[in-house]
Amino acid sequence: MTTQNALNELVGKPYKYGFVTEIETDKISKGLNEDIVRLISSKKEEPAFLLDFRLRAYKKWLQMEEPKWADLGFPQLSYQDIVYYSAPKQNEKKQSLDEVDPKLLETFDKLGIPLSEQKRLTNVAVDAVFDSVSIATTYKEKLAEHGVVFCSISEAVLQYPELVQRYIGSVVPSNDNFFAALNSAVFSDGSFVFIPKGVDCPMELSSYFRINSGDVGQFERTLIIAEENSSVSYLEGCTAPMFDTKTLHAAVVEIIALDKASVKYSTVQNWYSGDEKGVGGVYNFVTKRGHCRGYKSKISWSQVETGSAITWKYPSCVLQGDDSVGEFYSVALTNNKQKADTGTKMIHVGKRTRSTIVSKGISAGQSSNSYRGLVQMTKSAKDSRNYSQCDSMLIGDKASANTYPYIRSQQPRSSIEHEASTCRISEEQLFYLQSRGIGFEEAISIMVSGFCREVFNQLPMEFAAEADKLLALKLEGSVG
Amino acid sequence: MLRGDFLKSLPEPRGILRSVQIRGRDYLERFGLPSGKSEPWRITDLERLKTLLSRPFFLSRDENESNLIRSMAVPPSDGVRLVLSPSLQSIDDQKLPKEFRQITGADLERLLSSNIPNSASDKDWAIGLNQATAGTVLALRVKGCNPPPLELVAEAQLDRFSPSRVVLVLDSNTQLDLLEVILGKGCSAQSHFLEIHLAEGASLNHGLIALGGGEAGLLANVIVHQKRDSSYSLSMIQEGWSLGRIEPDICQGDGHAHTTLRGLQVSKGTRQVATHSKISFQGPEGTLDQLHKALVADKSHSIFNGAVEVPQIAQRTNAVQLSRNLLLSNNARVDTKPELEIIADDVRCSHGATVSELQKEELFYMRSRGVDTRQATKLLLQGYFQDILRSLPVEAERWSVLERLLESVGD
Amino acid sequence: MIQPEAKLILDISDLHVSVEGQNILKGVNLQIRAGEVHAIMGRNGSGKSTLAKALAGHPAYSVTSGRVDYLGKNLFDFDPEERARLGLFLGFQYPVEIPGVSNIEFLRVATNSCRKENGKDELDVFEFEDLVNDRLKIVQMDPSFLERSVNEGFSGGEKKRNEILQMALLDPVLSILDETDSGLDIDALRVVSSGVNQLSSQTNATVLITHYQRLLDEITPDFVHVMASGRILRTGGRELALELEQSGYEWVDKELQGGGDN
Repeated sequence: MTTQNALNELVGKPYKYGFVTEIETDKISKGLNEDIVRLISSKKEEPAFLLDFRLRAYKKWLQMEEPKWADLGFPQLSYQDIVYYSAPKQNEKKQSLDEVDPKLLETFDKLGIPLSEQKRLTNVAVDAVFDSVSIATTYKEKLAEHGVVFCSISEAVLQYPELVQRYIGSVVPSNDNFFAALNSAVFSDGSFVFIPKGVDCPMELSSYFRINSGDVGQFERTLIIAEENSSVSYLEGCTAPMFDTKTLHAAVVEIIALDKASVKYSTVQNWYSGDEKGVGGVYNFVTKRGHCRGYKSKISWSQVETGSAITWKYPSCVLQGDDSVGEFYSVALTNNKQKADTGTKMIHVGKRTRSTIVSKGISAGQSSNSYRGLVQMTKSAKDSRNYSQCDSMLIGDKASANTYPYIRSQQPRSSIEHEASTCRISEEQLFYLQSRGIGFEEAISIMVSGFCREVFNQLPMEFAAEADKLLALKLEGSVG
Repeated sequence: MLRGDFLKSLPEPRGILRSVQIRGRDYLERFGLPSGKSEPWRITDLERLKTLLSRPFFLSRDENESNLIRSMAVPPSDGVRLVLSPSLQSIDDQKLPKEFRQITGADLERLLSSNIPNSASDKDWAIGLNQATAGTVLALRVKGCNPPPLELVAEAQLDRFSPSRVVLVLDSNTQLDLLEVILGKGCSAQSHFLEIHLAEGASLNHGLIALGGGEAGLLANVIVHQKRDSSYSLSMIQEGWSLGRIEPDICQGDGHAHTTLRGLQVSKGTRQVATHSKISFQGPEGTLDQLHKALVADKSHSIFNGAVEVPQIAQRTNAVQLSRNLLLSNNARVDTKPELEIIADDVRCSHGATVSELQKEELFYMRSRGVDTRQATKLLLQGYFQDILRSLPVEAERWSVLERLLESVGD
Repeated sequence: MIQPEAKLILDISDLHVSVEGQNILKGVNLQIRAGEVHAIMGRNGSGKSTLAKALAGHPAYSVTSGRVDYLGKNLFDFDPEERARLGLFLGFQYPVEIPGVSNIEFLRVATNSCRKENGKDELDVFEFEDLVNDRLKIVQMDPSFLERSVNEGFSGGEKKRNEILQMALLDPVLSILDETDSGLDIDALRVVSSGVNQLSSQTNATVLITHYQRLLDEITPDFVHVMASGRILRTGGRELALELEQSGYEWVDKELQGGGDN
């Protein structure tokens, strides 16, 4: 078998998180109007400020148009065919994990995210989100001892309304873009993290998002606030069952870092990507942005994007504080008919700000994988630096790799450096590995993992191994 | 919308370009002005585009021309100089060297009928403008083993909008040095459109020197069709335009060809200078070597957009694109946007971009040898410019481009 | 050669210098007279190169206190290029590559800048060519290097020769050669050293900054200074360099610790 054929065979592999949990849900009717927005807010017993926020966003959203510029070519979404709220039926908010529906615990077990005390991960606190609501958060008490708040955003709205009111929408304004406006109007749940002054969060925090119902859009909202001299590492994981229809996921993540605070946000995104013909899959239209407000603050994004039919996201940093640092490390793997349009925006405002961008795109099958980025040096960003590196790897001759690195500078005392390259796995390299007794699949896997090494090195330990496995899995298949 | 009076001010379509003019005007009428929302024009100063279109249309040679003629270099000693003017009449073939022949009749009509912009897009809007307005065309076919260098000078008329259009066909295995000089002055507005066909094995070394001045504006399009084994090298110098925009669009029709693009933009004052290049590989084993440089001073704005398309058929393409920008003032602005679209897997494509001021260590090194900052800067700029200038055809020397550029950036 | 009544070229007193907010030099004192050859030794990070850069006027090095008189004038009143024209020469440890700028043109502009300052006629292209060809012999350098961009693609040895060529052209009063021996093989080291020896006279002075004794086998210093933690810890004759070669820098640590106890 030639390399090319073998490669083509390699790229289809079943999605192992595609099961559906049979569970009774509290689902509102399809469609979106002002009453639905009010209904969501009342179901969550929200204070007036948040209802206001939602309604204002909804009004703005009505005036906005679905963006077309990325040329992603997806059919017009019907926003009236989506269910905007769905929650597993539970009598009331559970006080302890023992009271959570065993079916839900089982679901997360199956996804490799055990929540129960006996089995839960030792070093990671998990907030598990099922469709529209957070069902459990582990290690809450232990974190509370350090003053760290880690809970669902719904809970934060009730417990810490002043923090939520102060920061929500302050990084991603509700009219930022079409999907952010939609999210601001209807967001159902998500995670809230607050690290007080001077605290290094004692464990990794992780949110796990699970879409279960086929017609439910997932609109989670995550808000992370790191006060002066604090630090936290946050992980996000996601999966969804296989449906023939497209599922919409339009999340908003906002991060605020004050003086000398450091936030590391890692994502392993493995939403269902549709089958090889492009049927089904998740539309992942996400707005993620971090605001380095403080002097010497730092926000670092690491992402491994393997799933979704269409991914459209640009985790960004606004580097406002002097000497602040922004980082973006990304691996995006697309296969079959997947489309990924991802990248970052680094907006340098403060003096001596620095940013680093490392993006690795791997395209296989008939997929399309684009890096789209913006590095901007505003007039005030004296003595700032950016370094970007965007590499693409093509597997097979039907995949496409596009690079659109946009650079804008208005500050002569700053420097921007961008490098990019495109390559493929060469037959000679493969042959070399094979001649040393390494199997074909393993050889591919070694090459891909080598290509992504720089990014994997940025991930928290447990995640790095998982990401490596995930990529291998995505490319796995039988070789004749 | 495009101001109706601009279209109305144009003379009646006539001559060989009649049908092209009608179609071009039709396009403009339907499309109007480019939109600030569309990607190709998003950061262009559309107000200046309107200003450019508000210049009265050139009707006849007037007395101002002498102003421009004086700024010309001496004619080439060994070669042909042709001056492009909207009122250009047919050239006597007898006066051309034997390697050059004018293209006429059906041949010309066939060549002219292509390239009408797609009415749904403003991507090639400037071509539409040229087609709507150009009333004459210089069409030359070149063959033979050693044609003398060709120099084309487009002299925009003071305070007038003047279009110029050129079609150049190089027969197989022909090698030519082409030096195009576009001069602007006062409130001149120039729309220039050059179309080049390179047959198999043909080789063109093309220098394009666009030197404006005053409030002059320029929209220039260069479309190049390359056949197998042809080689095209373009060196562009762009300086002194209130609104300057050059759009080279190169297509390697069957691959197996070489393209070299060298661009240098110098902008100061409140000028806006742009290069939008596109190269498309429609066959395997093509190469691209592209280097774009921009020096941006004062309150000026420099734009570079470099698209590279490598479709599935273009296996074993080797493309390199570099964009090196020098930003010398904190009121100036640089926008640079490479666009690489690659579907073929067996390709080597790389690109890089940098934006910075002059290297401090280099300056210090020279100062520590007694060279003052001003002189050191001059030396560095000279080196920066010469990287591009040295790839111009040798005939370009007569135009003293380096001196002019250094003078323009000196204070 | 030491002549106590020779002209004082450089007089450094209690010099403090910081880089990016970090104090590197913490009180350097040094006097250099015409005809002398000084060697400054010390480990990496001891402040040797900082001293050189600060004297040449590198903008990243800020003088926080102290005074340097050069030929009786306050050195810090002058820009880097003025210092060069007054005859202060820094041979760089890592000469920067300047793509696009022709070496010969740079050398000519530099030479003429210094000549002009000293009331000499500027040289035209041809006169300069004669001069540079003459000076090339001192460093045994191939004329083809003149046509290339400044230091671009030069090997380590070629860059150092180019430095000494510049020294030969500018005819400095005080030459500070920062790690001129690093990265040189023994032949190149001989060539470079012989160049320095040829250029040294009773009216000028040389400071060699180095790690190793081997350069001092080629160029004999009158004084050897040992730097550590931003100060000159000890000064001696050439025998101090030999002592360092044999016993290393460990005594420096002891001395520094001893100083800390006081």
